[in-house]
Amino acid sequence: MTRMTIPIGPQHPALKEPLSFLLTVEGERIVESVLRMGYVHRGIERICQNRNYVQNVHVVERVCGICSHIHTTTYCQGVEALLGLEVPPRALCLRTLLCELERIHSHLLWMGVLAELIGFTTIFMYAWRDREIVLDIMEELSGGRVAHAVNVIGGVRIDLDAEMSHSILVRLDELERQIETLLGVIQHERTFRARTRGVGHLSAEQVRRYCVVGPTARASGVDVDLRRDAPYAAYDQLDFRVITAEEGDVWARTMVRLLETIESLHLCRQLLAELPQGALTVRAPRRVPPGEVVSRGEAPRGELVYYIRSDGSDKPARVKIRTPTLTTLITLPDQLRDVNTADVPAVLAGVDLCIACADR
Amino acid sequence: MNVDLILEALRKTFPAETIEVRAMPVNETFVTLPPACIRPAAQVLVEQLNLRHLSAITGQDTGSEIELLYHFWDGRGLTLRASLPREEPHIATLTDLIPGAAFYEREVCEMLGVTFEGHPDPRALLLPDDWDGEAPLRQQPSPTPAAPRHPLPLPTLGEGGG
Amino acid sequence: MTNACPCLTATLWGRLERDMLDSLVRWARRKSPWILHFNSGGCNGCDIEILDLLTPRYDVERLGILKEASPRHADILLCTGPVTRQSRDRLRRIYEQMPAPRWVVAVGSCSCSGGVFRDGYNVLGGVDQVLPVDMYISGCPCRPEAMIDGLVRLLEMIE
Repeated sequence: MTRMTIPIGPQHPALKEPLSFLLTVEGERIVESVLRMGYVHRGIERICQNRNYVQNVHVVERVCGICSHIHTTTYCQGVEALLGLEVPPRALCLRTLLCELERIHSHLLWMGVLAELIGFTTIFMYAWRDREIVLDIMEELSGGRVAHAVNVIGGVRIDLDAEMSHSILVRLDELERQIETLLGVIQHERTFRARTRGVGHLSAEQVRRYCVVGPTARASGVDVDLRRDAPYAAYDQLDFRVITAEEGDVWARTMVRLLETIESLHLCRQLLAELPQGALTVRAPRRVPPGEVVSRGEAPRGELVYYIRSDGSDKPARVKIRTPTLTTLITLPDQLRDVNTADVPAVLAGVDLCIACADR
Repeated sequence: MNVDLILEALRKTFPAETIEVRAMPVNETFVTLPPACIRPAAQVLVEQLNLRHLSAITGQDTGSEIELLYHFWDGRGLTLRASLPREEPHIATLTDLIPGAAFYEREVCEMLGVTFEGHPDPRALLLPDDWDGEAPLRQQPSPTPAAPRHPLPLPTLGEGGG
Repeated sequence: MTNACPCLTATLWGRLERDMLDSLVRWARRKSPWILHFNSGGCNGCDIEILDLLTPRYDVERLGILKEASPRHADILLCTGPVTRQSRDRLRRIYEQMPAPRWVVAVGSCSCSGGVFRDGYNVLGGVDQVLPVDMYISGCPCRPEAMIDGLVRLLEMIE
C-alpha cells in the first residue's frame, strides 16, 4: 500500500492550540508521526530575567491559562525558599484550596474537550456548564475566572469568611452530584467506551522510559503524585487517595481524571473545615540573596518543576520551567503508531495537551 | 531515595574525582561532576539504582561557563551539575539511557548552543524555522554560532482566497 | 412600467433585484456571523473563554454565531495571543483563505498589543503587526461578556 503524508495543524478542528504534525499513513493506519512545536513559544524564561521577582509572578501566571495558579504557587514557593520565608498556615491552606479548585476546573475542561472531539457534544456542554460552578467560586474568591492572581511572594492576597465558606460547600455538593451523574453516563455509554478502550495505549515501561508524569502516568499503573510523595503547601495535613488505573488507554485516563476530580472535592471540604486562623502574608524583601532552588508542584497534568537561581539582585538570574505536557508530547509518536486516522483526535485529547505550557 | 547509597555508588565509579555535594532547597541534593562523568553517572543511576525519572535538564549561561543541571527525582531531588566551556560546549547524550531526555536536550541545544553528541534528532524544538539570531539564553553574543538546525519541511499551501 | 423602454425596465428591475439580494446577504451576514478562532501564541486563557461562549451559560449560538472549522467558511477571525514568529505566516495564510468581506477581531491584551510578552525575543507584538484589525477587545484574559459586547458592536459596524 502506498504511503501518504498528511499535515495536521497548526490550525485544525482537532487541535485546540497551534501544533503541527506530519502523519505518514498507509491506508487508514498511521505509520509514523513527526511533531513540530514552537507556535506558542514566547520566550518566557528569558522574559523572566528582564523582570523583577514580583512582576514575574504575573508573567508565570500566564504561561498557561488553565493551570495558572499552580505555576504561581510553584514559583512563589521557590522564591520563598530562597528568601527563607515561612508562609503562614492560613495562606498555605488558601493556596491549596485554589490548587484543588483549579484541578477540578482543568479536569472538567478536559472532559468536555475529549467528549467534543469524540463527537459526544452533550457531555462537552454538561461538563463545561458544571465547570461554571467552579469558575464562579474562583471569581468570588479572587476576582478572576481564569487568571486569579491569588499568590504573592510570602502568602496570598485573598481571604474568606464563614458565610463564603458555607456558600462554597453548598455549591461543591451540587457539583459532586453533577460529576457523579457524568461518571454514570460515561461508564455506561457503549460508544464512548468503544472510542476510548485500547486507544492511545502506553505501558508502564513506556511511561518510565519517557519520564511521563501526572494522570497519564497514573492511568498506566505508575503510582506517582507529588502531593503525597513530596507534600508542599498544606498537603501534609490532608487525607486523600491517589487514583491509578492499569489499562493505560484513553478510557483509563478518563476514569483517573474523573475520580481525581471527586477526590479534589473532598480535599476542598477538608480545607474549608480546618482552615486555621492567622495572617495571610509575611513581608518579602525585594532583593533575593544569592542561591538556587528546585521547586516542584503537582499541576493538573502532573509534575511541574521550577529551577530558580538568584544573584542577589531584584531580578532572577535564571528561571527554568519544565511543564508536564512536555513529558506526554514526546510519547505521541509511540501512541499514534498503528492507530486509525479517525482515532487521532481521541489520542490527542486523551493526554490532555497544553501546548502553551509546553512551548512557554 | 537513599542519597548516601547514591553518593557511595558515584564515589566508587569515580574514585579519582572529588565530588562536591551540597544540600539545596527544596529537598534537593546537588552533585557536581566533570562533564565526561555525567553519562557514566546517569548509567549508574539508571542501571544500578533504578533511578530513571529525569524531571528536566536546565542549561544556564553564568557568564564564565555554560552550566548543565540534570534534575532527577525519586521521592527526593538529585541534581547532577556539570560546567562546560562557553566556546563549543558539548557533552554526551543521555537519550539511549533515558529516552525522555530527548526533548530536554534539544531545548538546551537551541537555547544555549550546546551540542549533545549522539542525539538521534537534534532539530530545533521551540525556536522558529527562520531563527537567525544568537542562542536566546546566552548572556552575551556567543563566539560560536548556535548549533545547526534541521527545520521540518512544511507542506506549501497554494495561495488563494481573499 | 411595461410602456417604458425595455432596456431601462430591465436595468431598473435588475438593480432592484441586486439591491434586495445585497440587503438579504448583509442581513444574513449581520444576523449570523461565522467565526474562526486562531491562537497565534497565547496562554489559552482567552481561548477557553472563547470556547465558553458556546457553552450553556453564554450560548452565542442563539445569537446566530457559529464557530467554524475552516477559514473558507468564516466571516470573522477571532485572534488570541501575541503573534510569535512561527505563527506569523500561518496567521497571514488563514486570513488570505477567508473570502471577502472578512473582519479581524483581536481578543485579549496579548492580541491587542503583545501583553506581558511584548518584549519576548520570539514575539512580534499584537495581531495588528500582521493583519488589519477591525475590533480590539482587551482583557487578561478577556471575559466572555466583553467578547459578546465587542462582537455585537462589530456587527453594528458591519451594518
